[in-house]
Amino acid sequence: MKKKIIAFLQNAALVLYAMFAIFPLLWLVILSFKHDRDMFNTTFIFTPTLENYRMLFSDGEYIGYFLDNIIVSFGAIALSIIVGVPAAYALARFDFKGRDGIAFTFLSFRFAPEILVVLPLFLLYQELGLYDTYVGLIWVFQVLSLPLLIWILRGYFEDISVEVENAARLDGYSWWQVFIKIVMPLIRPGLVASALLSLIFVWNNFTFSLLLAGQDVTTTTVAMLQYVASDTVHYGQMAGAVLIASLPIIILALSIQKHLVRGLSMGSVKG
Amino acid sequence: MAKLTLKNLNKSFYKNREAIHAVSDLSIETKDGEFVALLGPSGCGKSTTLRMIAGLEDITSGEVLIGERKLNDLHPKDRNIGLAFENYAMYPPLSVYDNISFNMRAKNVPKETIKKEIDKMASLLDLKDLLAMNPSALSGGQKQRVNIARALIRRPEVLLLDEPLSHLDGKVRQKMRTEIKHLHNEINCTTIIVTHDQLEAMALADRIAIIKDGVLQQFGTPLEVFNHPQNEFVAGFIGEPPMNIFTVFATFKEGSVYLVSKNGKLRFNVPDKYKDYLEEGKEYRFGIRPTDISVVTDDQPYSTELNVTVFENVGEECRIHIKIEEDNILSIVSEEIYKLDTGDGIKIKFDSDRIHIFDVNTGERVEKQKVLI
Amino acid sequence: MADVTLQSVSKKFKKDIALDNINLKIKDKEFFVIFGPAGAGKTTLLNVIAGLYLPDYGDVYLDGEHYNYVEPEDRNIAMVFENYALYPHFTVFDNIASPLRSPRYKEPKAVVEKEVSRVANILKIDHLLERDISELSNGQRQRVGLGRALVRNPNVFLMDEPITHLDAKLRHQMRAELKEMQKNLDTTTIYVTHDYLEALSLGDKIAILNEGKIEQIGTPDEIYYYPHNEFVASSFGEPEINFFRASVTKDNQLSIFEEAKNQPLPETIKGYVKENVTSVKLGIRPKNIQYSFTKENENCVECIPYSFEPLGAKAVLTVEKDGNQIRLTVPSTLQVAMDKPVYVQLDVNKAIFFGPNKMNLLSKYREDAKGEVVWQN
Repeated sequence: MKKKIIAFLQNAALVLYAMFAIFPLLWLVILSFKHDRDMFNTTFIFTPTLENYRMLFSDGEYIGYFLDNIIVSFGAIALSIIVGVPAAYALARFDFKGRDGIAFTFLSFRFAPEILVVLPLFLLYQELGLYDTYVGLIWVFQVLSLPLLIWILRGYFEDISVEVENAARLDGYSWWQVFIKIVMPLIRPGLVASALLSLIFVWNNFTFSLLLAGQDVTTTTVAMLQYVASDTVHYGQMAGAVLIASLPIIILALSIQKHLVRGLSMGSVKG
Repeated sequence: MAKLTLKNLNKSFYKNREAIHAVSDLSIETKDGEFVALLGPSGCGKSTTLRMIAGLEDITSGEVLIGERKLNDLHPKDRNIGLAFENYAMYPPLSVYDNISFNMRAKNVPKETIKKEIDKMASLLDLKDLLAMNPSALSGGQKQRVNIARALIRRPEVLLLDEPLSHLDGKVRQKMRTEIKHLHNEINCTTIIVTHDQLEAMALADRIAIIKDGVLQQFGTPLEVFNHPQNEFVAGFIGEPPMNIFTVFATFKEGSVYLVSKNGKLRFNVPDKYKDYLEEGKEYRFGIRPTDISVVTDDQPYSTELNVTVFENVGEECRIHIKIEEDNILSIVSEEIYKLDTGDGIKIKFDSDRIHIFDVNTGERVEKQKVLI
Repeated sequence: MADVTLQSVSKKFKKDIALDNINLKIKDKEFFVIFGPAGAGKTTLLNVIAGLYLPDYGDVYLDGEHYNYVEPEDRNIAMVFENYALYPHFTVFDNIASPLRSPRYKEPKAVVEKEVSRVANILKIDHLLERDISELSNGQRQRVGLGRALVRNPNVFLMDEPITHLDAKLRHQMRAELKEMQKNLDTTTIYVTHDYLEALSLGDKIAILNEGKIEQIGTPDEIYYYPHNEFVASSFGEPEINFFRASVTKDNQLSIFEEAKNQPLPETIKGYVKENVTSVKLGIRPKNIQYSFTKENENCVECIPYSFEPLGAKAVLTVEKDGNQIRLTVPSTLQVAMDKPVYVQLDVNKAIFFGPNKMNLLSKYREDAKGEVVWQN
């Protein structure tokens, strides 16, 4: 009997917390279906409207922002996988001077606040003609995602015993074939998990998108600012835009949830 | 010094809503100063039993007694039992001296007494040079000696050793085994050792309790369990190299009893006394130790002729392997060194006093009276 | 089909010397065992032969061809790893088929299937072919590892402690099976182990490795009966061989214990005890020591029983003399009273004699032979 009461209380506490955690999202959904004039109503009773969504897609601009976001984020992730996988492999497998120093340096990219590095980057980008280009954003986002990718994958590579690679070499496969056929499939959970986490960081980045681009290349996060008009803030449209912007990430995360949990718990980060 | 008694000891718990009986109705009575081994494959419940004796695990039902004193509800520290953990469990920042004396200092024993006790222990276990060292500087064998010293310093009535040799390898392991045996001769403290290594149990214990799936299979001296296993499990578990065990049919011919392997390759006759235990045409499990088979040159009773499959010469003895069935090999160990090769025909003879016949269904030994030890 | 030659091979890891001037000649079709304790450099040696490590110094030849710079995949060497090194994301079938599908062999599908099932049959894992590696027991994994090596037709087999991780019973059985397999195998095999039983049982020849150096190379009989030095003698045989210090008197008598009568030096040894040598070490195996419970003659030495360990049919009796332990092999039915003395007799004719440099008196290093032992008689 006593156990049952405790279990009930535990569940009740969990439900309360879930409500607390999920409330902002819920609020967002409600807002996006509200008319601007109902916005500051404190009652929950209102007539739902699709007006906000109609406005969003009326001029086709939003789709452009969305595409920009996709190009920049996926470009950055692709680049960091191309650079990060070999780097992680080298850090895991080869014993060279300054190995740990280099690994730490990669991690340190995430130490400084973004706002601190954005000013020098802005000046550099202006000089180099990278300002407001896809390449420029992809480059800077790649720096954001690389540390996480390298540190997670390094643990994965360390978990694959060298003997497995050696065995495949002796079976008659060249180093590259071993890497593609044996090693890559074994780190896939880690690769998927770290790539997705990095994607979330990059997708939602605001500082760099705002200050290193904004006219030719505009991501959805920056585009939100447009709903702050001079006379009023279009909260409804903003909520709709935010929801649509976060949909791809939510769908992606749900579809690979299994990999995500496994990827972060197995092997994962070792010192 | 005291005798430890386990009375109908049970341990069950729930895992995924299924009742699991880790230990079932285990009753063992040790003599004062006896060395008893709890032996079995991993997961057989031997460690659970040890933990119940030490008080680290609740007892589902049954009793643990030292002499007449019931231990069931006593706190581990009040049971007067010394436990040497498998993984040493030493306090790394403390020196060996402080590690051994930790318990006594916690009880505010005067310093001089502690020193005297530790000196005694140090000479007993040859620790004098180690006392000032840190545990991390010790080798595996030294760690185990300190571990045992720490269990013994409390002057327990019963000493429990949990797999004391499993982390040591090769020569150190053998040396430590000899030392533990010697130590027990010296202090004569009732000792329970848990192990999965049958050689270790045989070498150390006065009596061995063989446990499988939480159930006691046999409790006897090393020679009893080796020469007179009560069932097929004990027969197969004890002995290195393992006992040869085959399925055979009993046939009676001209008043003699013959056992024939399934494919007929092995056919031999056994002493007439087995008429009383065996039924004609029935299947049995037949076992014989590799050391109880000899190579003979002339026809003798109980002998049979076979071809060598594999021959091994390993210095102090040679081993002859003969394939009887697809995945069953008859092994022979001989102190006399033969020079044989694959395909050679040899005559072999079973020591008729040392054959073991078990029921094919229950695995129980068919004849109950003792064979020669 | 190949012979393997190693010439003064050395390998260092940072400051640790793993291999120190190794010279080996392994003949075609030979079953060659490399024996040594943990950390002796056995696995490093295999990896050098496999081409996974480049030696710091020295040369590897395969069939007379210089192989130092040949990539592992081009050497056609099959290896069985201590930890199996199976591909965890492949099924048993794919694991075994892997060498045949590699660019080196590129066998057609039908051949792959035929060969894999042939090997699986021999190893009795044909019912497991569709399983994942994670579903297998250690013994089964080890068979898959063997299968991956046996499926192909390599120049050399390398086996790194392939049966170490199995329990004693399975090991006994697998050793017999390996030995049977070896009979039907016409391929040079290099087998690494730290188990002396495996070494003696399987090897045509054995090399004993210790701290990166070769202590002795010889046939099992040579290694067991004529160990080159004390290390080799103590590595083979269980319980370990007993060593006794003895002094040599002027009239070629051996004095081992004060209370026992001096014994004459065996004739075979006499010529090799140099003039100025006054002390030798005798190695006597535990089964060769005589014991009794009464003082039977002047050679008997009184010892105190230390421990008695029955191990089945045999038992190890350890006795103490002047603080030194002596191990004896006795029948386990022997009744030993721990508080009564045991008398021990040493037969010097069954002893192996070691000089002050821990070397067998009958052997000597020929410096130019680079590690090979040459016997004087």
